[in-house]
Amino acid sequence: MSGLAHYLEDEGLATVIVALVREHIVSMRPPRALWIPFELGRPFGAPGNADLQRRVLRASLALLDKPASAPLLEEFSEAVPLDDDTDWRFSGALDSTGVLAEAASVTPIWNKACERLQRTTVGISGLAPAAAVEFIERFHSADPMLNPRGMAPVSRARFAVDDIKAFYFEAALAQGGHPSARQLHEWFWNGTLAGALLREFQERARVSDDKNLRLIASSLVPAERCYWFLHGLESP
Amino acid sequence: MVRLADIPEPERSLIADLNCPHYADTAPTTPVVASQRHVAIVSTAGFIVRGERPMLSSETGYRAIAATVDDSDILCSHVSTNFDRTGFQQDLNVMLPRDRLRELEQQGVIGKAADTHYAFMGATSPEKLEDKARELGRSMLALGVNTVVLAPV
Repeated sequence: MSGLAHYLEDEGLATVIVALVREHIVSMRPPRALWIPFELGRPFGAPGNADLQRRVLRASLALLDKPASAPLLEEFSEAVPLDDDTDWRFSGALDSTGVLAEAASVTPIWNKACERLQRTTVGISGLAPAAAVEFIERFHSADPMLNPRGMAPVSRARFAVDDIKAFYFEAALAQGGHPSARQLHEWFWNGTLAGALLREFQERARVSDDKNLRLIASSLVPAERCYWFLHGLESP
Repeated sequence: MVRLADIPEPERSLIADLNCPHYADTAPTTPVVASQRHVAIVSTAGFIVRGERPMLSSETGYRAIAATVDDSDILCSHVSTNFDRTGFQQDLNVMLPRDRLRELEQQGVIGKAADTHYAFMGATSPEKLEDKARELGRSMLALGVNTVVLAPV
């Protein structure tokens, strides 16, 4: 991102970066950056907190009003609490007889979530959510699902994994409350058959003869989860 | 998902100590006054419009997200596990604050929110983005954009 700042400034555009990794800014010295100490993936703060999002945006634009003879790096003064919602539980009834049955039982909950949020982020694989689960479940079987045209099987698998996570997380969010990202991940990776399926898929990808599959193995399960699973640890 | 500081080693250092290219200090473009700022957002979330081909790892191109595209049709093809997407799943503005930017326009804090925002693919080597970044810069200038908020994930 800092590289983009250099190129765009050189073309005549004034830029500000809302930066999550301070070390990269210090190293690459873009003209103006605001370091925000938030969770990775949340550069503008918390979902549903328009005031905070607006304050981050205004603070970043305010850098344009300061002299910038040298690279300017400022820190956003607010932190976002990572507190769990202690009242939150996934209260939907999941069918635990198998991962496909579980996915089928998630579907009506997810449908409600789509209605409630008026939005879904599922769809990057081009497969319907339950089909994405089946695609991964049968990927290493003797009878893999037909891969629709337009995307290589390994790319389809990588995006299907992300769709599965979004499908479950959106369903979980339909339960109400304000679960933290940590709670959602804890529930998904330790409490669902889909989470177990993806962990198993990652393990098989890691030792696959297919180098493309080995390449995506590290982008399926969060690094900290892998660490905790490996060492038999509870998440902090 | 966690803040960088909370990621266990060695993954934390792998991210923080990424071998970044060296850039000489770029002479900053002189910003226009706030009331004349025409602001676009450029993200590295690999955003695409539903139905488009997802961006792949290390892809060097960029995608345009027009104001007319509904929130529900904006998908994130940067699927790294290093960052959280549950925030994005609840509220697009966590990653692409286009509603907030429009509000700043309405409040007179900026002159105009751009009609189109843009996305590159994150975790792509910065040098490989140069040609397309410069192309996008010229394109934005031609549209009257003079200010860019860069939003990594």
